[in-house]
Amino acid sequence: MLTSKTFLKKTKRGNILKIVREHYLRDDIGCGSRICKKCAIINENAILDDKLSSSISKAYVNPHYLIVDTNVVLHQIDVLEEDVLINVIILQTVLEEVKHRSTSIYKRLNDIINNPNRKFYVFVNEHHKDTYIEREPGETANNRNDRAIRVAAKWYDEHLFENQRNISLKKVIRIVLLTGDTDNKEKATQDGIFAASVEDYIYCLKDSKGIEDKLSKQEISYNEDSKEIFPCHLTPVQIHEGIKTGKLLHGSFQASKENFLEGQVNVEGYEKSILIQGYIELNRAVHGDIVALELLPEEQWSAPSEIVLQDDEVDNEEQIVESEIIKPKTVKEKTPTGKIVGIIRRKWRQYCGILQDNILQNSTRHIFVPAEKTIPKIRIETRQAATLIQQRIIVAIDSWSRYSRYPSGHFVRALGKIGDKETENEVLLLEHDVPHSRFSDKVLSYLPKLPWIISDEKVLNNINMFMNCLKQIAKRTDLRHINVCSVDPPGCTDIDDALHCNLLSNGNYEVGVHIADVSHFIKSGTALDEEAALRATTVYLLDKRIDMVPELLSSNLCSLKANEDRFAFSCIWEVTSHAEIVQINFCKSIIRSRAALTYEEAQLIIDDKKQTTVLAESLRNLNNLAKILKKKRIENGALVLASPEIRFYLDSETHDPIEVQAKQIRETNSMVEEFMLLANISVAEKIYEEFPEYAILRRHPCPPPSNFEPLIKAANYLGFEMDTSSNKNLARSLDAAQKKDNPYFNTILRILATRCMLQAVYFNSGMVTKDDFYHYGLAASIYTHFTSPIRRYADILVHRLLAACINADPTYPELLNKKKMNDICHNLNYRNRMAQYAGRASVALHTHMFFREKVQDEEGYILFVRKNALQILIPKYGLEGTLYLAPVKGGEQYVNFIYNEENHTQSYKEIVFHTFDPVIVQLSLDSSNIQHEKLIFKLVKPYIHNFSVPSVKQDTEKSQSNLNLSASEKRKEGDAFSFKSSSKKKKKMSKQ
Amino acid sequence: MYSILFSDAEKTYIWDGVELNLRNDGRKRNDYRPMELETDVVTHASGSARLRLANTDILVGVKAEIDVPYPEAPNVGKIEFFVDCSANATPAFEGRGGEDLANEISSALLKAYDVLPLNNLCIVPGFSCWKLYVDILILECGGNLYDSVSLAVKSALYNTRIPNVKGTYIDGTNVDLQLSDDLFECWKLDVSKAPCFVTLCKIGEYLVVDPTVEEEACSTASIVVSVGENGSITGIFKIGEGSFHQNAICDAIKLAGTIGNELNKTLKLALEKEENLGIRRERYGFLK
Repeated sequence: MLTSKTFLKKTKRGNILKIVREHYLRDDIGCGSRICKKCAIINENAILDDKLSSSISKAYVNPHYLIVDTNVVLHQIDVLEEDVLINVIILQTVLEEVKHRSTSIYKRLNDIINNPNRKFYVFVNEHHKDTYIEREPGETANNRNDRAIRVAAKWYDEHLFENQRNISLKKVIRIVLLTGDTDNKEKATQDGIFAASVEDYIYCLKDSKGIEDKLSKQEISYNEDSKEIFPCHLTPVQIHEGIKTGKLLHGSFQASKENFLEGQVNVEGYEKSILIQGYIELNRAVHGDIVALELLPEEQWSAPSEIVLQDDEVDNEEQIVESEIIKPKTVKEKTPTGKIVGIIRRKWRQYCGILQDNILQNSTRHIFVPAEKTIPKIRIETRQAATLIQQRIIVAIDSWSRYSRYPSGHFVRALGKIGDKETENEVLLLEHDVPHSRFSDKVLSYLPKLPWIISDEKVLNNINMFMNCLKQIAKRTDLRHINVCSVDPPGCTDIDDALHCNLLSNGNYEVGVHIADVSHFIKSGTALDEEAALRATTVYLLDKRIDMVPELLSSNLCSLKANEDRFAFSCIWEVTSHAEIVQINFCKSIIRSRAALTYEEAQLIIDDKKQTTVLAESLRNLNNLAKILKKKRIENGALVLASPEIRFYLDSETHDPIEVQAKQIRETNSMVEEFMLLANISVAEKIYEEFPEYAILRRHPCPPPSNFEPLIKAANYLGFEMDTSSNKNLARSLDAAQKKDNPYFNTILRILATRCMLQAVYFNSGMVTKDDFYHYGLAASIYTHFTSPIRRYADILVHRLLAACINADPTYPELLNKKKMNDICHNLNYRNRMAQYAGRASVALHTHMFFREKVQDEEGYILFVRKNALQILIPKYGLEGTLYLAPVKGGEQYVNFIYNEENHTQSYKEIVFHTFDPVIVQLSLDSSNIQHEKLIFKLVKPYIHNFSVPSVKQDTEKSQSNLNLSASEKRKEGDAFSFKSSSKKKKKMSKQ
Repeated sequence: MYSILFSDAEKTYIWDGVELNLRNDGRKRNDYRPMELETDVVTHASGSARLRLANTDILVGVKAEIDVPYPEAPNVGKIEFFVDCSANATPAFEGRGGEDLANEISSALLKAYDVLPLNNLCIVPGFSCWKLYVDILILECGGNLYDSVSLAVKSALYNTRIPNVKGTYIDGTNVDLQLSDDLFECWKLDVSKAPCFVTLCKIGEYLVVDPTVEEEACSTASIVVSVGENGSITGIFKIGEGSFHQNAICDAIKLAGTIGNELNKTLKLALEKEENLGIRRERYGFLK
């Protein structure tokens, strides 16, 4: 049977089209129930049970199937994912609507449908001759769909009844329609269908197993006299018009990490992001939302308050005191300030955190405190508070009404006990959006089969394999005769680079950098490639590594292990003894590493003059060349920056940190780093020359002059001039700024300089003008990442490009698709940033564990002077923290510090705190807030009466079982502090 | 122009019949042949109609699109006629054979429809309006093409549903159109002023309406009068060869006025009757 669907559509150019689609109705669509004899022939995959023992619900006596409407799926997907609900019919109408409204929920729904145990049946009601309905005049699309759902439910009810004529009425399988719409429910009841809201249905379950907690709270009833806290949001139409007329602006909202009553919105076309201050002005925006905002008149503009403010109030319900301190009274530099008037798109996701202690026992309403400081507290309802209070949990936001101070949400799942290392790591990964699930079978199916053999010498069973191997060898240069070795941190299993150096007969040197040939194993377009592209980088936590590629590749087949034949991508230079490059050659090769050394071992070999093996000689040559290279680079203006570097010594069994130490740097680190830099630059030049439009490069933009202000001011105070006009001048003035009485001063200055920098980013050379390719930190006019393909996806892309340059591999369309590559670059940058944050968070986590139940006095330096606090750096631990000068809310203030905005100083009587001033602080861990355990800094010296605390004597000498945990090692090679540290003598310089 | 082979004896027969007010198919001189009319036959179009008059078969589709009004008439919409003489109708239309006839009919329609008020078609004066594309497809020629075309066009316009569109000014220069997602939220054109054509054929001394192909071959001259709903004359066109005497023209116009008035009324009744069957009525289209 044929009918047609008609609808009107407005085209982009403003024309209005009438579109008519043919729509076929069928009579051979099965109902999916095993009980049905009528549909038996066409019911190929009937999955709905025929024998429902009895109803699972207290409210409905009959056994029944469930039909859900669209809103139920959209809002209560967490409930639907519960195993309690089985035998559910998903109508096509619902499925289509869900697909249209939310892709992520559609995906989750599909996962449920594909699980045969759940018995979810998709009924194609739109094409069934008895359940298809046409839209009536005056009926909205929504009402039409609701009606379609009711018609289908009614049809099912009757259809099933015909099959069960001789069964007692109480045992007849019925249909229960779950709907979120009261109107729909009423109409369904009138039609004789059992209808209920999800809430009612779940509450009436005989065995609910706590799933009522997962119900999404769309509306929470409030007393009528409850006050409106927030102004209304504008309607989408108003927002749309406002933006078109230019009255409103839009952008993504970024909540401040330091002050929960402050945030900013980055608006296109505005140089500075627009400041939002105050509860009303924020108007329920949550970090990440796309919001519409109105710019305030210029006289109301304000500046970011420099105070650190946390939402510490213990749920004093709907009271919001607009604190006076939020808005600075005297403002010198005003920034554009606005208020949020509407939300264009919510970017809510699931958040992890903990429950806040509730004073009322047995209460079901609780406040959830997210781990991220940018996310407001969330109101949830749960009956399992007693068990959940000890755990880290995940919560989703459902809505935020005008009458509520906090958004309301629902419980999704528990991660584990608070303080548990596993749980905490999980939290870290979730919060930083790091994909860390197991590799799927599909991905693993693209791995080579073991045993994986390269050489043709060994016996091969399979003739095809033999041929393949021959071909592979033919394309590759055999470099197995060369003495190659790798130098890495101890315990490193994913070795992606190896080096060699030979003296040539003409007095020049042949230097080779050999990089694991990952692109040989990861072919474009495979699931393996897609997964790697999504993960973008390997994430190193202190005690855990989250691989970008499966372990078989990362730790075995790609890793350039000693005395194993491995595929490599080689970059071979001929250089003079003054490190001038004579020629470069790139080739795919087979190598056999002679030794996998650690930095320490390599250093020993170099220093031990007695060793005269080929390997020792080549290491020495490499080291000498590296020194020349480094000198040249620094002369060019490359920066030597600094960031606190620490190393944890972990207990061998519990993996709890025992000792924290700043890190040691050896010459060999620098040696490897220099050659990696050289390789990266050479490759960047090569691929840019060959693919000027499609090369994947990395740039480090020059920071705007205003970024340097704090550095200049701080240095000025101690009488040093900072010339920040170029990286070269900056490097020079940093070198000049030495203080004899404070050896750490220079390092702090470099740390400060690091903070002025912008992030280095990947980009597509076709999207940026050539002038912007510059790498500021390295002072390189062009740069890319080539040397760590095992742990970075960018390197794989660069490998592919280079392979195409030297005709080793063919190109493929996606490689030359600017848009696609640009998207990939964006993802790489995002993941990199997240991986960095995750690494830092991991360090913080271990630092906290280290300080648990310890109180220590340490020497520190003031990094920044804030309005109500001092930012203090402890060099010994590379630790940074805040010393609050103003009392925490509720505390009494004995000492009033005077803040001088001009000079950035805090003073009390004759004691003045400047940046760089040495202080002694007492460190202790405040575990009163289990969610955010924080290190408390208390002032010991200089002594201020009523403010400082007495010093504690170090009583116990800690037993040190200096066990170095290997997995943590590589992270510290620059991931956690990434580019800041990298310019220092680090191997993974190539991070930049 | 199409023509048929015809003997003198046959011509005499027809002449004599007309003189006796008894035409060869039994009609009187002022009688129309029965017609079949169905509207809304093309779902893709905003409005459509198919008219069959003996062997003459006309399909009309109306398409409404957004356009910019003419600067000299910022407050009115636009209408355009396009006639396609299908080669199916007669082999003479093959290639560009039907072009002259097509142009003749479309220009006649455009002139006659000058009286149709198009103010309603304006959305935002000076910026956007509806433009109606009236596409006329001649599927078969069985005489009296002008009358049938005009009737079909009027029916199709009567059937036309135009979506409700609200235009809003933005910044005073840009216009944004807002479209309701409800298909049924639309309005109908007022076609009461739309004229019908009455073709009068001079056979011998007499004027004949609705000529068959044979009668057309015998006629010495033909005149097309476009008549509005209250009998008002909106246009007169002389088609084909031959000439009229001054008095004959006056008589012809008078006669056309009364006949046209009747024709309009009958058409209106028929259309209303069909409309009352509702939008879910069964459609026959070309399947009958």
